[in-house]
Amino acid sequence: MNDAAGEAPGGQSAGQDQDLQPPLAAAAPAQDPAATSAAEPVPSPLPGQGDPNEPVLVGTQNQRLGDGVNRCPRCGSTEIQLRPATGMLICLFCRYEWSEAAVEGQIFAEQPLTELQGTVLGSGASNIDASVEDVLTLKCGACGSEVIVNVANAMSARCHWCRNVLTVNNQVPNGAVPDAVLPFALTHDQAVAAIREFAGKRKTFAHRRFVREFSPENVVGVYLPYMVIDGNASADVWGYGEVQTRSYTRGSGDDRETYYDADVYQVQRHVDYTVDDLTIESSAERANMDVFVNTNNVINAILPFDTKHAVEWNASYLTGFTSEKRDQNIEAIRPMLENQLLSIARSEVQPSVSGYDRGVRWEHEKLEVHGTRWVSMYLPVWLYSYYHEEKGRGMVHYIAVNGRTGETMGSVPVSRARLLAAALTTGTVIEAIVIGFLVATA
Amino acid sequence: MIIWLINTVALLGPVLAESNPQDEDGGGWLLLAGPAAGVALYGMLFRYYRNTDKSHSFERETTIESQPVTGTDAKVDEVRGTKRTAINGNNVKKYRDRVNRVE
Repeated sequence: MNDAAGEAPGGQSAGQDQDLQPPLAAAAPAQDPAATSAAEPVPSPLPGQGDPNEPVLVGTQNQRLGDGVNRCPRCGSTEIQLRPATGMLICLFCRYEWSEAAVEGQIFAEQPLTELQGTVLGSGASNIDASVEDVLTLKCGACGSEVIVNVANAMSARCHWCRNVLTVNNQVPNGAVPDAVLPFALTHDQAVAAIREFAGKRKTFAHRRFVREFSPENVVGVYLPYMVIDGNASADVWGYGEVQTRSYTRGSGDDRETYYDADVYQVQRHVDYTVDDLTIESSAERANMDVFVNTNNVINAILPFDTKHAVEWNASYLTGFTSEKRDQNIEAIRPMLENQLLSIARSEVQPSVSGYDRGVRWEHEKLEVHGTRWVSMYLPVWLYSYYHEEKGRGMVHYIAVNGRTGETMGSVPVSRARLLAAALTTGTVIEAIVIGFLVATA
Repeated sequence: MIIWLINTVALLGPVLAESNPQDEDGGGWLLLAGPAAGVALYGMLFRYYRNTDKSHSFERETTIESQPVTGTDAKVDEVRGTKRTAINGNNVKKYRDRVNRVE
């Protein structure tokens, strides 16, 4: 018997061929099989939406610090670095410990996210000026010599004459100094242990060269650039849902088959929602997650971070670590933000259509972003990199450890010969059993 | 792997089908079990090592506050006698599959 899905008696198939045009005709009475949804009219968009073309900039420059020599508040030394165990800065000379102020609730005016309108951003997230160089020349405040820092991968340098450490703290429009930084909480040893455990579970089918050359001690602490975004949005989705009304069998013996009857509904849902600290890559290279050419997706997979504990910028948090600079403006990131907001909306409305036991086919969706606020932030990642070339194609395989939570994800190059051997052995054993069964029952 | 699959089915299928002429299927489809298991194991192990399917679950791992969901449901048709167990194109849980975006 032919599959009769969607064929209404004597008519056009309802669930498949009709062209659904949003918004729905309002004439149809609401019949809601879903217990949690309310058959109410869709509320109109929130009034007073701000102009997204005119973002409001909020200054986040750390006023106590500048470029060059920044000294310990107690003894005046420049030997300052992060102590991951406490999350504090420590002076290596006098052992004084201190911390920059937390930024949560400090950058933007206190207001419920439901009232967020327009675009607001920290000054560290402002547009990048392509004419501003990555290489900065700092004048050493101790001896007067000039020291060069390439902010593409470092935010401090040691003066080669007087040995003082110079740091970059002024926000210039090259994307190097963010609004905030989340310091490492995991030590190098903890990261090595996490990577060793991760790779240890993946030895048998790993490429032999990777197993031989595996040296997790080479893991590097990197501050990667992200945009941390709060949003206030509304979304609508339209589609069809089916509710099973009957199931029955026809035929007998081996020809016995189950058939279903179902009611088809036009379904529409609306949701108003806010998101808090949605985190998106602000480096074009890291945002490229094509798994055929890179393994950036594993770095993405160790999100989220506890961004509520981020602190004001101080380049001394980066001493001993490397960093990657932001190279994306908010308008370049906005499509990804909207994509994620739509996915969140679809996830949020899902419980309200649970009554459609045969599922829902969403066909149209609409997003209205009423307001967003953006903070650029450096987040801490322990990164083990392994360059692997196969058939003339090279790829860097990462094992990444979240520098705060310890969540670990990675990519281990596989030995295709071993994988094939395992697959062939398993397939052959099962095939032999099947053949034995068929011969026995022939 | 694919060559092995084709060879296995091509060589053994007719033999076994002939050995059981009463059975219209010849039990031939069962011969796919071995190759299917091999392919499935290869894919599973590959994913376990390479994690190509992993990404941040922002739908669950971000702080989201929603107002009560509103909407409408209007019965428009009936389906009779289908063998399909779910609506065609069911994407209710495929949050990241984008559909036609209305501006």
